[in-house]
Amino acid sequence: MNRHEKAAVGAVALMLLAAGAIFLYAPTDYLQGPVQRIFYLHVSSAIAAYGCFAVVLIGGIVYLRNESLAADRFARAGALVGVVLTTVTLVMGSLWAKKVWGAYWVWDARLTSTLVLWIIYAGYLTVRRLAEPGRQAARFAAVVGIFGFIDVPVVHFSVTWWNTQHPGAVIINDALPPEMLATFFFTMFCTLVLAGVMIAIRYRIETLLDERHGVTEPARVVAARGAEAGAEPVP
Amino acid sequence: MSILVADGLTHWFGRELALEGVDLVLDTGEHMAVLGDNGAGKTTLLRILATALHPTAGRLQLAGLDAFRERRRLRHYLGYVAHAPGLYPALTAAENLEFFCDLQDVNRSRAAEVLETVGLTPFASKRADQLSRGMQQRLAIGRAILHEPKLLFFDEPDASLGADAGDLLAGIMQGRTVVLATHDHALANRLCPRTLVLRHGRSLGTATHLRVVK
Amino acid sequence: MNPVRVAVAVLRKDLRSEWRTRELVPALAQFVILALLIGNFGFQIDSRNAASIAPGILWLALVFAGLVAFGRAFAAEREQASLEAMLMTPASPVAVFAGKAMAAFGLLVLCEAVMLPALSLFFGTPLSIGVIAAVLLASVGMAALGCLFAAMVARVRARELLLPLLTLPLWIPFIIAGGSALQSAMGLPGNYQEAVGLLIDFDILFIVLTSLAARFVLDE
Repeated sequence: MNRHEKAAVGAVALMLLAAGAIFLYAPTDYLQGPVQRIFYLHVSSAIAAYGCFAVVLIGGIVYLRNESLAADRFARAGALVGVVLTTVTLVMGSLWAKKVWGAYWVWDARLTSTLVLWIIYAGYLTVRRLAEPGRQAARFAAVVGIFGFIDVPVVHFSVTWWNTQHPGAVIINDALPPEMLATFFFTMFCTLVLAGVMIAIRYRIETLLDERHGVTEPARVVAARGAEAGAEPVP
Repeated sequence: MSILVADGLTHWFGRELALEGVDLVLDTGEHMAVLGDNGAGKTTLLRILATALHPTAGRLQLAGLDAFRERRRLRHYLGYVAHAPGLYPALTAAENLEFFCDLQDVNRSRAAEVLETVGLTPFASKRADQLSRGMQQRLAIGRAILHEPKLLFFDEPDASLGADAGDLLAGIMQGRTVVLATHDHALANRLCPRTLVLRHGRSLGTATHLRVVK
Repeated sequence: MNPVRVAVAVLRKDLRSEWRTRELVPALAQFVILALLIGNFGFQIDSRNAASIAPGILWLALVFAGLVAFGRAFAAEREQASLEAMLMTPASPVAVFAGKAMAAFGLLVLCEAVMLPALSLFFGTPLSIGVIAAVLLASVGMAALGCLFAAMVARVRARELLLPLLTLPLWIPFIIAGGSALQSAMGLPGNYQEAVGLLIDFDILFIVLTSLAARFVLDE
């Protein structure tokens, strides 16, 4: 087993442990019943998705500054994993909402901005596929990733300003009993580990894809090492 | 003194290798032709040399400067005539040039001078889409020399220029360092003492006064 | 190098080309009128619900007209291979971008000059300074964002598909604030000043961001 396979097995084992905690350790919510158990993974995957998109943002900024191929690969990996986790968040959230609010979807700030987030990073992946691979795709995608990240709080703010219905931060005000809180933090930890492992594996895949497509360190970086500085152009 | 030094220029379009490890050194004032079949990589090489395209790998120095780091400074020294004329169809010949005078930051009166050079003065107020293909090509050449570049890159400029293409090009090339991509061996021989032959993205080497490469 | 000279030259060139060919504005004006017509059939508008529905129809029509206008602005340069010629000059890409964005904004304003009176004529909504100001303010930021992504997709395959995909989610804040401003300007309850304040904030934010990003999108 190589490094990545070991990490994958570890992450899956952690997620199974988290599932055990969610279903066996955490008490049943007396108001909402068993459906409340969605909460643990729903919120954890939302937080992990934000983490992934932060990777996309930082990767994009670093790429635009120095064209580091590694930063771009991290951004690519982060976007893909982030979109998967956002999908999980949205699907679990709407199942929960159906039970609790009576509808799969309501147009509230958090739901709307999460949906926008999903659309933007799905667009990011589309740009990557359609732009000429290499420098152009990386630059365009970096711009989309940065605008997407900035747009989410803006959308969130504008929809909040419009109207809102989603519960706020339930974790901060000690509304949760300690068993629930412990389960939540453990699930969040496991989800973050899983996200990290998925990004690492995807990073490796992107590296191999780059090698196959002949994408190497960009010419400018190579040239910078050999060029003599300060030469004046011939008039 | 070498004005252009290219080292291992390589370019991939996606999974397709368009140019592989092309080296090239050009002295100031030298004229060089690039010959090759369609798809041999002529346009890719020219676009990279003119800093219009970033190569996937390799390095390029123009006038002693790193071509891709100092691109904006170098733009004053470069002129590039692409295969497509790239004119604004609804603007007149003169307006097309005047617009580029603004972008090049040169006086608009240069437009009239250049129209004279490329022999389009009688057509100055004709819309670009009413000019013949050859005249459009001349206009595109005129646009590339508005700012008196020291280095000129021509991508098949002779394609539709007509019978006096050689004379026009010879006049413009005088006193400049030029790389000219063409199909026309006779024209290459007449205008350029040196020739680079490309095949499948690779350089088959340069030769002075090429006989005939079949 | 004078960026203002470049931006003005690009703006003049685009408006002059449009004036001579009259390619875009008449077609877009017809399109927005048609959109109002379709909106009328879809929603059964009468004098009671006009103020709540008309703004929605206006934004829908405007968003799609904008996508076409901004898409064309760069697609035409791309087809004629003139974008590369422009970027081969020492002119700053940000100045070129600013000129293109201003021209596209100008064309969109011409569409609005047809659309707003038509909206008022068909649905009896007021055509006040408040309505015009809200639409214009939203158009500024939408033009900046729309042109940035139009410049990007002009160099990408399947650009007709990708432009709305990238642009629409980023336009949502303008549509929210603009829609709210329009509804209150047409007599529904709402805080007009706050909505217009938001529009101005979004305009500033996205003009700054797009100018920072334009270099990476336009420069090869």
